[in-house]
Amino acid sequence: MIDMKRMKNCLLIDDDIDDQEIFEICVQELNPDIKFLAVKNGIEAVSLLKSNDSYTPDYIFIDVNMPKLNGLDCLKILRANERLHACKIYMYSTTSAHSSLEESKKLGADDFIIKPTKTAELKEILSKIFKIDLI
Amino acid sequence: MAIDLEKLNDNSMTDKNILYQKMIEEIQDYAIILMDKEGYIQNWNKGAQKIKLYTEEEILGKHFSIFYLPNDLQDNLPFKLLTQAHDTGRAVQEGWRKRKDGSTFWGSITITALHDDDNQVIGFCKVTRDLTDKKYAEDNLRMSEERYHQMIAEVQDYAIILLSAEGVIENWNAGAESIKGYTASEVVGKKFELFYTEQDRKSNLPYKLLAEAKEKGKAVQEGWRLRKGGMKFWGTIVITALHNKEGDVIGFSKVTRDLTAQKVVEEKLAAYTAELEIQNSELEQFAYVASHDLQEPLRKIQTFTELIQSNFHDKEFVKKYFNKLDASAKRMSDLVKSLLNYSRLSKEKEVYTTVNLNDILKDVKEDFELLIEEKQADISNDPLPLVSGNSIQIGQLFSNLISNSLKFCCKKPVIKISSKIVNKEQLLDPPQNLIHDRYHHITFEDNGIGFEEQYNKVIFSLFQRLHGKQDYSGTGIGLALCKKIAENHLGYINAQSEEGKGAIFNVFIPILDNNSYRNSQRL
Repeated sequence: MIDMKRMKNCLLIDDDIDDQEIFEICVQELNPDIKFLAVKNGIEAVSLLKSNDSYTPDYIFIDVNMPKLNGLDCLKILRANERLHACKIYMYSTTSAHSSLEESKKLGADDFIIKPTKTAELKEILSKIFKIDLI
Repeated sequence: MAIDLEKLNDNSMTDKNILYQKMIEEIQDYAIILMDKEGYIQNWNKGAQKIKLYTEEEILGKHFSIFYLPNDLQDNLPFKLLTQAHDTGRAVQEGWRKRKDGSTFWGSITITALHDDDNQVIGFCKVTRDLTDKKYAEDNLRMSEERYHQMIAEVQDYAIILLSAEGVIENWNAGAESIKGYTASEVVGKKFELFYTEQDRKSNLPYKLLAEAKEKGKAVQEGWRLRKGGMKFWGTIVITALHNKEGDVIGFSKVTRDLTAQKVVEEKLAAYTAELEIQNSELEQFAYVASHDLQEPLRKIQTFTELIQSNFHDKEFVKKYFNKLDASAKRMSDLVKSLLNYSRLSKEKEVYTTVNLNDILKDVKEDFELLIEEKQADISNDPLPLVSGNSIQIGQLFSNLISNSLKFCCKKPVIKISSKIVNKEQLLDPPQNLIHDRYHHITFEDNGIGFEEQYNKVIFSLFQRLHGKQDYSGTGIGLALCKKIAENHLGYINAQSEEGKGAIFNVFIPILDNNSYRNSQRL
């Protein structure tokens, strides 16, 4: 069972609404108690964190290829935020160009996840991250 | 006869004469000969014997012309010298003379006339010195100098020039003539800045190089120089300071090599390399597209299919995801189409004709008729020019720019297209490789969402999207295509904008006569 004292917060930063939706479906199916939020880009994420002091995500997933602030620049900013020192941050992308994979590790990403084609695969990846046993 | 030196104090005339005669007799380094007024030898000293090898007995009473070579005898030189000594008191000459054994020596000769109390010539004294060794040394030196001079004068591949300390040309060789086109008489005495371009002269390069050579011993430089008539050549130049024994600079040597042919090859190679680099980076972009942009809709299609399968009985869900499936497939198809367009643009050699931009705009407006009506867009334009180009490509350029203006707009779109003619110097932020002097400047101005100034370059790269996929549709190829089309026409495109305040796209297409167009096309 997960810790019920505090609901886990999961934030997805992705400009693709379809991917937001698929991600949410998977998270909800894994555990409806995880509080899921999605924003369209890094700038929205930064302003969300700034405007809401009490909101501290436990997991952040960042799409690499985004307009305005790209995923790696976004990662850099978030990693510099002290409030997120315990937060797990993952890159979440359609493809893993070798350079961006290496770069994200250097910048402190916990892992680099390639967007799977099957929801079952995504759920499996997320269950490991959230430490939930799949039913 | 022994002489008592102590008796020298004695004023005895006889002793002095004896001493004097002895002195003459004993001198070894000079042949001192007494001759009568016809030139017959009367007296002979040790020096004469040593130099000419005759003993006194052999030579006394002989005529002094015996020492002269046949050429000189033919010229009557002995007589001429005697006459000169007779008339003027003395005759001085240097020349080859003959010894007893027939060998020659270089003699320095002075013939002095001797007079009696009535000032009548009674004979001659002839003093000869053997300067053969000195003569050889001098000859060698002179020949070596001559050879050296000839060597420099006849070198063809290098211009070797002697400059005065002030930079005045003092010497000019065959290489200088062939490289710079001037003959020696045209340039000797002129200042060497003559070979420098106006720009280099303005920046004082010629004298900066002399100053450098003066300070450091030499100055090395490569650059464009002028031949006679103003034609340029690419020269590599070494200027070396020349010093006297005191260490003062007394002039400069300037060695110039013409490397124009190499330079041209080098530049061609550099241009080719740059072209390759561009093509390479385009290829990389393509690879990225194939792996990312094309994979994205594919992945979604797979995911949606799976979701539909597992929620097959939820009619609402199935309907929604079928629509999404359809949208992803359409996006995939759009991407493939525009990629094809783009790659065709890179490869095909298109036909160039005179293109009427007013007709192009009319066609594009017809294509977008529905969208213009739906968005109530206002598209106005100045009378547009005729340009040399490919009408299909220019049509694509207009279509992409206008469709962008219609697309990236959240209110009623107002699009204005204007045109003017500009000179090369008036161009906005031009790329370096433009070759034409006059351009059509066509402006596309809209009132759309615009973009932040910092993105004014990246928007032209392949698959660069500034706006979220769900807010505005598009494949990320449109502007890359526009850039390619402008470049294919030997022009360029750029953009200015402030976010939220509309965008201006400037297209520059060179003005040229129809014949020259095909020739000036890039390979």
